[in-house]
Amino acid sequence: MFIRLITALVAAMLLASPGRAQQLSIWHDLGDNGTKWLAEAGAEFAKTHPGVSLRPISYPTDQWFGRTIGAINTGTAPDLLFSNYERVIRVASQTGKIGDMRAVLDGIADHGFLSGDDLRVASFGGRMIILPVQRVQMAFGVRKSWLDKVGEPFPQTWEDAKRVAGKFQAGDPEGTGTGTVFGFALEAAKPRDLIHMLDLFTFGAGLRHTLVDPEGNVVIDEPEHARVLAEVLNTFGAYKLVPPDTINYSFNEMYQVIEGGRTGMFRVGDWNVAKWDAQGIKGDFVVGAWPRFFADRQNAVVIGGMRGVAVPENAPNKKLADEFAAFLLGKPAQQASLRIVGSAVRRDLDVSGLSERQRLFAQPQWPLIAYDFPEGGLAWYPELEAAFHRKLLTAIAVPPQDMPAFVKATAEEMRTLAKQLAARKG
Amino acid sequence: MPGLAIRREGVFYLFALPFAALTILFGLWPILLSIQVSFTASATALQPHPQWVGLANYAAIFADPVFQASLARTLLYTVLAVAANLAFALAYALLLDSALIGWGRTVFKLAVFLPVVTPDVAGYVVWRWLYDQSFGAVNAALKLAGLPGFGGLASPGTAMLALLVAELWHHAGFYVLIFLANLAILDRAQTEASHIDGATTLQRFWYVTLPQLRPAIAVNLVYALIQFLKTFTAVVVMTKGGPADATNFVSFYAYQQFDSAQYGQATAMATVLFAIVLLVALSAYRVTERGRA
Amino acid sequence: MTRPSPWAQALALAVAGGVSLLFLFPYAWMLSSALRSTREILSAPLGLWPAKPSAEAFASIAEAGGTTLLRATLNSLGITAASTALAVCITALGAYALTRRPQALAFRLLRAGFLLSMMYPYMLLVIPVYLVMFKLGLLGGYTGIVLFLSLGPVQFFLFEQFFRTLPPEVIEAATVDGASEAQILFRIVLPMAAPVVATVATITFLLNWAQWFPVLVISATPDTYTLPVALLALNGELGTNFQGIMAMALITTVPPALVFLLAQRRVMGGLTDGAVKG
Repeated sequence: MFIRLITALVAAMLLASPGRAQQLSIWHDLGDNGTKWLAEAGAEFAKTHPGVSLRPISYPTDQWFGRTIGAINTGTAPDLLFSNYERVIRVASQTGKIGDMRAVLDGIADHGFLSGDDLRVASFGGRMIILPVQRVQMAFGVRKSWLDKVGEPFPQTWEDAKRVAGKFQAGDPEGTGTGTVFGFALEAAKPRDLIHMLDLFTFGAGLRHTLVDPEGNVVIDEPEHARVLAEVLNTFGAYKLVPPDTINYSFNEMYQVIEGGRTGMFRVGDWNVAKWDAQGIKGDFVVGAWPRFFADRQNAVVIGGMRGVAVPENAPNKKLADEFAAFLLGKPAQQASLRIVGSAVRRDLDVSGLSERQRLFAQPQWPLIAYDFPEGGLAWYPELEAAFHRKLLTAIAVPPQDMPAFVKATAEEMRTLAKQLAARKG
Repeated sequence: MPGLAIRREGVFYLFALPFAALTILFGLWPILLSIQVSFTASATALQPHPQWVGLANYAAIFADPVFQASLARTLLYTVLAVAANLAFALAYALLLDSALIGWGRTVFKLAVFLPVVTPDVAGYVVWRWLYDQSFGAVNAALKLAGLPGFGGLASPGTAMLALLVAELWHHAGFYVLIFLANLAILDRAQTEASHIDGATTLQRFWYVTLPQLRPAIAVNLVYALIQFLKTFTAVVVMTKGGPADATNFVSFYAYQQFDSAQYGQATAMATVLFAIVLLVALSAYRVTERGRA
Repeated sequence: MTRPSPWAQALALAVAGGVSLLFLFPYAWMLSSALRSTREILSAPLGLWPAKPSAEAFASIAEAGGTTLLRATLNSLGITAASTALAVCITALGAYALTRRPQALAFRLLRAGFLLSMMYPYMLLVIPVYLVMFKLGLLGGYTGIVLFLSLGPVQFFLFEQFFRTLPPEVIEAATVDGASEAQILFRIVLPMAAPVVATVATITFLLNWAQWFPVLVISATPDTYTLPVALLALNGELGTNFQGIMAMALITTVPPALVFLLAQRRVMGGLTDGAVKG
């Protein structure tokens, strides 16, 4: 009774409050750069939409998930979401309330710059869940000054990379004493972390799948896959080429060891370059393709899919949100995206203002290989991947005596599980 | 005049009204909501007309090997943490209370109590990096002392211990305080009598001091049990349940389930944990009351 | 009684001193890490004295964790102060009513319900509290946060315990003199309760300053984040420097540490009393 009274009172107060100027909220996980870019795009948007303001809010990725899913499920959704494709998939599958962007895309006259592959990596369950706004490219980076100190060129093959890592660790390149700096910066704390690392080495080596092929067959024990998997696991463990706490590192800790000058080789995303040119690494790095594992396979820089904008079906200002989503594909917003975040999808942008390293990403001179995204087609894939991750984590925590046997056994286990999951979920 | 009497009584209800409102709105209502959600299907849990699934969520969590392991781990950690905290706190309180320490007693007390009022997030953020093997002070100190390295939060074998030490740092000062308060009101006559009887220090402690510390032990036991069953912030800040699930306690696992929209199962886990906390609290209460009687 | 030997005394002092230093070490490390470069920390992980102290870390967190440092600090002060004031008033009134009429059924139920709700693993109330706040229209505002933080067991126990020790004769005498219940409470009881009020206020301040989870859940944007929440967000953000995190931890730690050191007798005495009753 009492509760109802209060609720009614509050509801009455809410209804009575005067209409506010329209504010669009957008939740992203790109940090300060993302906020800066979106604010700029919002200001531009307001020029043609008087009275409309945009409120970009950045959350750390793990909070972003919980908040977004919770808000959509409770009917308190923001107007727009901005994140990586595979993150929006999770939101879509757990809320079922991510709007279809197909009509928005069709409303854009010149969307020819989005390829069929780009659009494939925007769809889930027969819907276009994001409007792709930024292509995610991830290259391999090495500390320039460290290479000079140990007298090595940018490592081309995996054997080179391991040798260079060893030299970094023995050579004390920062003058802080041996045992304080490490070869590679990796991460493994959360399910996505470890798989992300494996993805980069696998696709970078020229392979097409990490765990399963598009039909859902487990591929990890095929000879080439098995080799990359074993090497990655050994890098976390037996080779001792990463900081000893790596098993607990997630993105933020990984960034700390990269920017703090504690590791020599690391992942460089297109969105990292603008920042690392100026702060943290302060330009002291070379970027290139991921190490080559196989003489007969082209190594590459990895396209980790698309980042894009999504609109929840229960967004408070859905129509306006759709308009803003389309606006993010227009030239002004795209140009700002390239300048501030470091990536975009349009091809007609001006790159003259970019640094040399940024231009490498804007007009790639290196071979590119894209993620396969099995979760787009196989509904049960996330569960399989979670089990795979647990399995791999134990192998890092307690390295197996016989790595080939471990890979073989894990493959069999995954096959059984995949079959069960497929039978359950279809 | 009966009207006056009623008004006189009524004023108490007025006094209690804000307190009652907060208790109902932010205490009981959310708990009931939570329990209600645990009987519904996650996908529909937050909708106006959720689909009722009976005990399905409870069946699901008890069939989940990760939850089983998590529950066992939570209980193990609770036992270890309670024992370690109480043992340390008792020893330290006895030391501070003994005639051996005259000077500096207040300083020693403040030093262990300061972490209690330090925001837990801040404390654990520092501990998280103290444990880092290439960066932190813990391993550097061990190395300096010629001792073998400590895996800290990065090794499944040591992560729970590392967490326990950090939590002890944060909580133990409170237990020390309670023991000290009790020690201050001990019956000195009994202790002196035992001196005259020629009892050894250990005998004196066991037969004279310890029984008199019963109230403090009871209070600390209840608080510590409830405290460590609910261990959460330390995990969020320091390990995220890792490595390899070594610190994935029920509270954190349930929270993760929440975050991935498994509302039904998450609230079922919450209810199970609540039941355990309640059981522990009630039985401890009964034991204490009997002790007092 | 025999005098303890000097050796035993020295040993006892050494042990207590050693333990105290261990407990205080994280503070020293936090301070020194906020001031030292990564290179310096790596070269001498145990060195506490910065060779080239740099306040750069403090500048780097002027905007951090999705909000400005200034705003988070003001939020912390405001939310903690408001919830402390409210907690003192509401709990004092509630506990007073419940102790004066312990036999009333409604009050017995209220007391049981309160104790029950204090035992729930609060971190699992995320969604329910979120929902309740949404239904009440309190999501994202200060009101919801402040109200949620205005309820706590220690505060209740301290007041309850104090009111139970009130001599009944005082109240009886006042009643005979024709004072109303409100007059009895405000003119007679509360003035006597001043020390308890001070104790409860100090302890509530310390407890609420450290709260992070309810603040995180009820906040709709980082605008209402307090220092611990901003620290947590900072700790999870990409590319935040280690020194900045330590600086933020330091800023979060100093205010309650000062309050505690200034009011240590009150705080420790109060917590003991509150707990022994519980």
